[in-house]
Amino acid sequence: MRPAFVVFAAAAVAQWFLPLAGVWQHERVLAHGVPLRIRCSAPDPYDPLRGRFLTVRPEQDRAAAPVGMSGTGPIWATLEAGADGLARIASLSIEPISGPNVIRLVARTSGMTDGTPSVSLTWPFDRFYLNERLAPGADALVAERVRDGQKPVAEIRLLDGRAVLTDVFIDGVPIREVVKRRAK
Amino acid sequence: MRSPHHRWLAEQLPAWEREGIVSADGARRLRERYAAEPRGGLAQVIVGIVGALLIGTGLIAVLAYNWDDFPRWVRLGLALGPLALTQAVSWCVLDRGEAAKPWWRESAALVQALAAGAAMALVSQIYHLPGTWTDLVFWWCVVSVPLAWVMRSQAVAIAYLVGIAVWTVSQGVEANLFSARTAADVRIWFPLLLAGIVPLWPGPDLRARPAPGGRLVLAGSAFVGLLAVATQASALHRDSDGAFFWLAMLSSVAVMLFPLDRGGIAEPLARKPQVVLGGLALVIMALIATYEDPARELVKSVWFALSGGWCWLLVVVVVGCAAVAFRQGRHAVLAVAGLAVVPLLAAPFSRDNTGGWPVAIAYSLVLLGTAIVLIALEFLGRQGAARIGAALITILVVLRMADADLSLLTKGVAFIVIGSGFLAFNAFVSRRRAAAPGGSPA
Repeated sequence: MRPAFVVFAAAAVAQWFLPLAGVWQHERVLAHGVPLRIRCSAPDPYDPLRGRFLTVRPEQDRAAAPVGMSGTGPIWATLEAGADGLARIASLSIEPISGPNVIRLVARTSGMTDGTPSVSLTWPFDRFYLNERLAPGADALVAERVRDGQKPVAEIRLLDGRAVLTDVFIDGVPIREVVKRRAK
Repeated sequence: MRSPHHRWLAEQLPAWEREGIVSADGARRLRERYAAEPRGGLAQVIVGIVGALLIGTGLIAVLAYNWDDFPRWVRLGLALGPLALTQAVSWCVLDRGEAAKPWWRESAALVQALAAGAAMALVSQIYHLPGTWTDLVFWWCVVSVPLAWVMRSQAVAIAYLVGIAVWTVSQGVEANLFSARTAADVRIWFPLLLAGIVPLWPGPDLRARPAPGGRLVLAGSAFVGLLAVATQASALHRDSDGAFFWLAMLSSVAVMLFPLDRGGIAEPLARKPQVVLGGLALVIMALIATYEDPARELVKSVWFALSGGWCWLLVVVVVGCAAVAFRQGRHAVLAVAGLAVVPLLAAPFSRDNTGGWPVAIAYSLVLLGTAIVLIALEFLGRQGAARIGAALITILVVLRMADADLSLLTKGVAFIVIGSGFLAFNAFVSRRRAAAPGGSPA
């Protein structure tokens, strides 16, 4: 076999491997993960390659720094669902821990809050893609609800510390449905 | 000698060999010295590229329009199906070897690269994956560049070079605006990514050269990428961006002094975009440094820069390239490159943060000297750049006149005299070149 064919075959395999690795990883979480809902904000920016999306920012973006935390690094949060059905951070650990409700975040020390050291948290999901036709309506809807003090809710599935965003809800209804209904 | 002349020579050589005008060995040496770039119908290649771009972008737009109405498995099929199809087409084109027309190779490679990018973008969209679009560009570049090698696709190579420059700039911006710790270390990544083009240019036989458009993109990518690396290297250093000025100068010199073979050196300046880009940036920075505050900042940046490893690596590269250029007699380019040495020489005398005037004056004098060298080299029959030298002197005089505490009338008259002198010199150089045997390029 000519070297060009070997290089071509390797490139072709890599071109399949990258998307399929993502598909496998995320399908696994979707199939076996624990569903949780988190309150968030969701403005509407634009990605030049992937189109419109809502930026999903969970409400809890700061927390008291766990003992031993310094600089920037991974952190493991245990989420607990409250009486309202929404999940919140119950505890943080700088050591890897496992459990059905554990999620891996990135934390960065960020000064003091109420006299105690705090960390800012980066969640492993930050965008919910929407059809170009629906995105402006969704953005307007979210802005309207946020003004009324009702933030949207993001639904995720969790497995082995990995999270996949599955939907964004307004008043318990998927945002796509709400926008489509409004458009009619 | 220009590329069309090379092609003409290549076409004539077989007949000359047959008629005994040149020996087989002489013909071989002429072919090596004046290698003709493959042509293969430029119009066909351009049409092929445009067609491939339209198909790729149209496909993405059609799929994206109906996105919400399809279940996930259908969307995945639509994302990955075109990839499989384009890979099969490329394989067939590759299988035809040299019989495949250049525009087939270009189109097949470009459509496949677009399909690979679309597959990654759409999977990322389906699963709402995090990460910026520039992260996607990085992986897109990595999986697409082998197509440029095996299909000898200039379009994919150009897309790759643009892509790696965009990604490197994004990392430099992130390092400066957000956190140098979370950005990828482009001091390592950018040289590796730039080396990704080596299997195509110069290729395994070290003889392949990009077409003029490709040269410009290659030089631009290297230049922009190195500047982005300089911003990140500055941001990593003591949380200060003070090192950037001199690192940018060194980066410009590294681009400008990129080693060339004899054929490359003989080409006119217009076909050496790396010299134009690097030299222009260096002269502009030197002109800025003829003012007091920038001159002081430039000298300070030398100290910041020297405490980082990236600066030393650049110095080693620049010294190596300068040695090669000196051996090849590229004195005009070396004269311009010398502008980057001024702050290094001034640094030991300015450690106590003294005023910038001595350095600013030194820069004015060195720029003047550089201009004189460029003019003198041409008049001595060497490869110089008399017009560029004259333009440099004109700009210097205009800058100093603009600063000077003189009446508007005096300045106006001076500008008219300088402008007339510049035009007269230009006409003189043109006449001189036309009178030279065979005419000589700058």
